[in-house]
Amino acid sequence: MKQLVTLLCFFLGTTSLLVAQSYNISGQVKDEAGEPLAGVTVVVKNTIRGTTTGNDGRFTLQVPGPDAVLVFSYTGYTQQEVPVNAQRELDVTLVESGSALGEVVVVGFGTAYRQDLTGSIAKLSSKEFEFQPVQTFENAIQGRAAGVFINSGSGKLGQGLNIRVRGISSVSAGNQPLFVIDGIPVISERIGSATEPDNPLATIAPEDIESIEILKDAAAAAIYGARASNGVVLVTTKSGRSGRTKVSFGLYGGWASPTRKRKWLNAAEYRELFTYAAQQSDFGELDAAEEFASETGTDDWNSNYDTNWADEAFQPAGVRNASLSITGGDARTTFLISGTFNDQTGILRGNAMDRLTGRINLDHKASNRLRFGTNLSLIKSLNQRVPSDNAFSNPLQLNALPPIQPKIDPNTGKLNQNTLYYNNLIDLENGFNNATTYRSLSNIYGQWDITDRLSFRSEYGIDWLNLQEEQFRGRETLDGAPTGESYSNQVNVLNQNVNNFLQYVQKFGQNFDLNATIGMQYQSGNYRETSSTGQGLPNDRFTKIASAAKIVQGASNESAYAFTSYFARANVKLFDRFLVGLSGRVDGSSRFGKNNRFGFFPAGSLGYVMSNESFLRDNKIVNFLKLRASYGSTGNAEIGNFAWRSLWGANFVGDLSGIVPTRIGDENLTWETTNQLNVGIDFGLFNDRISASFDYFDKRTKGLLLNLPLPASNGFTSITKNIGDMTNTGYEFVLTTQNLVGKFRWTTNFNISTYRNKVTNMNGSTIDGGSRQLGRVSEGQPFGYFWGPKYAGVNPDNGNAQYYDTDGNILDQDDFLALPDEKRNQIVGNPHPDFFGGMNNRFSYMGFSLDVQLQFVYGNDLYNIAGFFQSVNGDYFDNQSKDQLNYWRQPGQITNIPEPRLYSGNGAIKSSRWVQDGSYLRVRALTFGYTLPRSLTSRVRMENLFVYVAAQNLFTFTKYDGYDPEVNATYVSAVNLGHDFYTPPQARIITLGLNASF
Amino acid sequence: MKKIAILISTVVVLFFSGCIKELDIQPLDAIDASIALETAEDLESAIVGAYSIMHSGALYGTNLNLLPELLGSENYCQWRGTFQSYRQVMNKNMTIDNAEATRTWIAAYRAINVANNVLDNLNKVSDTDKRAQLEAEAKFVRGILHFELVRLYAKPWNAPNTGPKSRLGVPIKLKGTANEAAASVKVKRNTIEEVYAQVIQDLKDAEAGLPASRNGNNRFRATTYTAKAFLSRVYLQQQNYSEALQKANEVIASNAYRLNASVTSAFRNKFTGETIFELYMNEQNNAGTANDGLTTFYASLPGIGRSDVRILAPFANLYEPGDERLTELIYIGTGRRPGSRQTGKWTQFEQNIPVIRLAEMYLTRAECNFRLNSTVGSTPLDDINLLRRRARASILSTLTLDDIIKERSLELCFEGLRIHDLKRLELGTGSFSFDHPKLVLPIPEREIRANSELEQNEGY
Repeated sequence: MKQLVTLLCFFLGTTSLLVAQSYNISGQVKDEAGEPLAGVTVVVKNTIRGTTTGNDGRFTLQVPGPDAVLVFSYTGYTQQEVPVNAQRELDVTLVESGSALGEVVVVGFGTAYRQDLTGSIAKLSSKEFEFQPVQTFENAIQGRAAGVFINSGSGKLGQGLNIRVRGISSVSAGNQPLFVIDGIPVISERIGSATEPDNPLATIAPEDIESIEILKDAAAAAIYGARASNGVVLVTTKSGRSGRTKVSFGLYGGWASPTRKRKWLNAAEYRELFTYAAQQSDFGELDAAEEFASETGTDDWNSNYDTNWADEAFQPAGVRNASLSITGGDARTTFLISGTFNDQTGILRGNAMDRLTGRINLDHKASNRLRFGTNLSLIKSLNQRVPSDNAFSNPLQLNALPPIQPKIDPNTGKLNQNTLYYNNLIDLENGFNNATTYRSLSNIYGQWDITDRLSFRSEYGIDWLNLQEEQFRGRETLDGAPTGESYSNQVNVLNQNVNNFLQYVQKFGQNFDLNATIGMQYQSGNYRETSSTGQGLPNDRFTKIASAAKIVQGASNESAYAFTSYFARANVKLFDRFLVGLSGRVDGSSRFGKNNRFGFFPAGSLGYVMSNESFLRDNKIVNFLKLRASYGSTGNAEIGNFAWRSLWGANFVGDLSGIVPTRIGDENLTWETTNQLNVGIDFGLFNDRISASFDYFDKRTKGLLLNLPLPASNGFTSITKNIGDMTNTGYEFVLTTQNLVGKFRWTTNFNISTYRNKVTNMNGSTIDGGSRQLGRVSEGQPFGYFWGPKYAGVNPDNGNAQYYDTDGNILDQDDFLALPDEKRNQIVGNPHPDFFGGMNNRFSYMGFSLDVQLQFVYGNDLYNIAGFFQSVNGDYFDNQSKDQLNYWRQPGQITNIPEPRLYSGNGAIKSSRWVQDGSYLRVRALTFGYTLPRSLTSRVRMENLFVYVAAQNLFTFTKYDGYDPEVNATYVSAVNLGHDFYTPPQARIITLGLNASF
Repeated sequence: MKKIAILISTVVVLFFSGCIKELDIQPLDAIDASIALETAEDLESAIVGAYSIMHSGALYGTNLNLLPELLGSENYCQWRGTFQSYRQVMNKNMTIDNAEATRTWIAAYRAINVANNVLDNLNKVSDTDKRAQLEAEAKFVRGILHFELVRLYAKPWNAPNTGPKSRLGVPIKLKGTANEAAASVKVKRNTIEEVYAQVIQDLKDAEAGLPASRNGNNRFRATTYTAKAFLSRVYLQQQNYSEALQKANEVIASNAYRLNASVTSAFRNKFTGETIFELYMNEQNNAGTANDGLTTFYASLPGIGRSDVRILAPFANLYEPGDERLTELIYIGTGRRPGSRQTGKWTQFEQNIPVIRLAEMYLTRAECNFRLNSTVGSTPLDDINLLRRRARASILSTLTLDDIIKERSLELCFEGLRIHDLKRLELGTGSFSFDHPKLVLPIPEREIRANSELEQNEGY
């Protein structure tokens, strides 16, 4: 602590005092066409003094003297340094380059120019996704950021996405990156009681976002210390701009449909298959009609219904979105007021979500040296949920119902109650499942520019989230029968965060530039939940627990955590070409065992801008070349709030309560540590017509949290300890080309990435995914590799399903099942892709623009667990996928579908039979738009009018024959990656929209 | 400027030091073990906690009843539910990872650990009476659970000694686990003799220190007579008839209990005058309503139970036609899997579960008096007729040992005594001799993996 004080004093003491002769300069920044550019960063070189241009492209800035140099930076434009030369008015024209080198990148606790970066950071600016009809901003990253693998998991609205930055670095402590919005780490963990909980990030309007930065390597992320192992996603919201008040208005609406529907047997095919299956049953020659009658209690086999149950799962879907933002202000105060409304009807029956957001971002300069500001936001969303994939009430499970059964019972005229499985359409008619979220993400800050080189910034932010889950199941429903059931759950989460930090820049002599940051962060999180369930409601018009005769469940609980952290970073530039970065963070957390409460996370990096060497300067081909390397340490602190403690909790006897030990803790338990090496190269050719970067990373994670079995005779069965290791290595390549410049403009962005995950130490243990799942974690293999029996097709002689034993012999199922375990199970797939990435092409001509975003994943395997029921050659009366018709009928027949034998389990064991290649290429987003000529719009006093048609998930190319290759059922445990179980597909959305500003 | 710098630094430093204190966050839904057992009240809560574990399905809530019944299922009852674990117990082909053998072992030692933690922290109680009572109660819990473990996971007491492995009992745990080191200790199995000696010692201490009665919500807790009743069970299991007789007689002679007027009363009402040890259940806290609990497995009533266990005809036919234990306590199922004979003892999810009833004491006293040719307390014939009279069965005029044994099974069926009686009587079940290795549960596989000092049972 003493050292810190000394350090602070040092910084303050050595800083030169106010420089004389400072005066105000103002000016305007325009593009080549003469249009004013808003939001351009203007900084006095070698100082912290800076501003951004207003809506009219104008800026005012106090410069220290007549010989100052101003640096103008704007994403997509060449950075310019302009000497003031004692002028008081300075107009600048920036040249569009498509180059990202001069852009300002948000790093933790500060910003940097891309050309000076030594770490690996992907940046996405709002311009790249602003017209994409995404519901949540993470969707916009998909396929656009190298090294960031995103899987939407399912087509349900408001569901959590899987975001993996450079592979998977934890077995049990979570793999989601840390999300930081305007400097405040926000709630991104799943909350609430649903098996597939809501995604808290879906409450944030994409329209409010200015940029998204993803910190990938240790040099970039170590400043976030113990929570940065999975990468850090920094989100910056839009801020106000001075000048004439500008009103922008956006509107879009459209239609949504499933990316794909599957084909199922119709009534005639169903009867054919099951007639055969019954005859061939191991239980003797059965009569299908009789069997069907005894299983369902109906005579439907002999009726004439032909119901397309699978289609009943879907509904006409669409989206409506409106947004309004007003920005303006003067040289001292700028503001942004925005509001958005988004209303989606999901493709899955009963699924809908709407969201209303409001925001005020305000910045005020009290003096040239003192600034204050606030970002205030309020959000309300309502998600009408559908049940989790494995619930009988999941609408997609309707595809299991026999087509020969009617949807409406002809006797009652109501929904048929006598179906093979629950007719879950009853749930929708007779119940609801609503999740309402209220949230405020708000902060205030003060910044004091103590001198031109030293500033102190203090930020306080809150993320308050209130989730209200309400479920009602009427008396006709499966779960609510016979008297109705009502459930209510209130969740309140409050995160508070304080950042205090000093920033310092200094140029020593001609060849030594220093940029340093030192500070502290404190964060506390509190989680409270209260739930209750009532049964016995008078009738289905009473849905609240107050009307319930019996309270059958009630609970309230609370949990909390805190972090106290100190961090420092120094970046040095020598001779304008050697870059050195050092950062360190000390993190203390209530989550870490008392013997291990503070961790230190250092990182170092080097960069060499070779293009600034004399031998490359003014080279005709290479205009930029930089080599980078970094190494450092980060942590994963999502280890549970009290995992290190030994605890006693309540346990009940009749009306009495006692206490029992609930866990034994390891007082050394602490974060998981990742050491990451990154080497990279960035280059620009032909004046940045071609620019590219290439990165190689090697992430080694140690101290993975695993459960060590204990002798139960001591009272406990396991203890959680830091014992496992895993590695992730991979490559990332990003290429940006300006194919055509000038009037007709064509830009291509391409990125491709790989990661190879390997679990290297599990202390000899394995984690298995479950009796029907294939996922497994064990030493020497990638996390979640598929492990189980390997399907070998059908014996042409007898129609038996066949499997490979571990020696490669093909055996009939009965012989195979007689083998011991170790002969039966083997590796049958890998859920990790060989590579993934995306390509964006942007064309513009006159006012027209076309933006096409492709996204691809290659080489991963998927496992359809539902194959047990739906693609199992009529083993039971579930409707079958159409391919099952190609079943074995006669000796000699070569097919992959075993002979149907009702109830006999031929080919019905867990196996690779339902493992498929999950590679896909998707036209993820497409926007075609037209900006009306200014001459036209100015007549109606409109500054800008853009109309467009946009599409999301327009086409998908895949060999996967399930609904959608972008799938990850979340109800199964986390080791089961790439599993599909009646998981709804993504939506294809087509929208028409307009954006206008006045 | 320097002053400002110092000011900022001071403020920042003050703020930081405050934050470090904030890192000490205590959980609110649970209490850290280091401060959980500090007062007599905490220890009292822990004792109730030990009972709560004993109430679970892994112990008296289901398995300590159901496993002994299924192990002796021949000509008696049949498991036809879907759980493979119980089916294996019935078929005597348990695998070493049998889920029931695993969870019962874990839960028993979990409860023993709670009892030992109470014993280890008795110095926190200043009131000597209170301390003695807590000590006695903790030893009661420890004693009966070691007894249940040694009966299920080791050869019978009376099995012939065919080598060192045949006398392997279970580990005796007398120290509580308070930290990781203690939780990792690997212990060996004690001998059957050592375990029984420890059980008897604990129960004698319990007998001496427990109160004579309990009131209100505490009626599920042990009294001195509960300890005596368990002692009589232990002695009887050892074929020590004189001690078993003495303890059974002490319970009866205390007049603390009396037989209910009807055979159903103990299973329809809470804490009747007949039960000596009873589990306390209510609508929310019970042994299970879906995949666990005696009612779930034994009942077949509309909306209640699954009829996973049905009674077989040879056993039902042992009753005389008018015996109310047949007419009132065996019914034909009307719920799931209807049409089979079901026991009427377990018919409601929230019903209390009697573990020891006074009727057992009469049966034990009668058997021991008969074997010892004595009439301590009463004659065997009178004791047996007392129960038969209540059941509206015919009154006997003469008595054989077989009559007493038969009466015992008619009265106490489906209450968890089946295999234990078959073993001590050296009767065996079906084709399995009383000391057959497959009538002993396997030491759970997970336990052997975690504790290399443990030896597996013969036959696994």
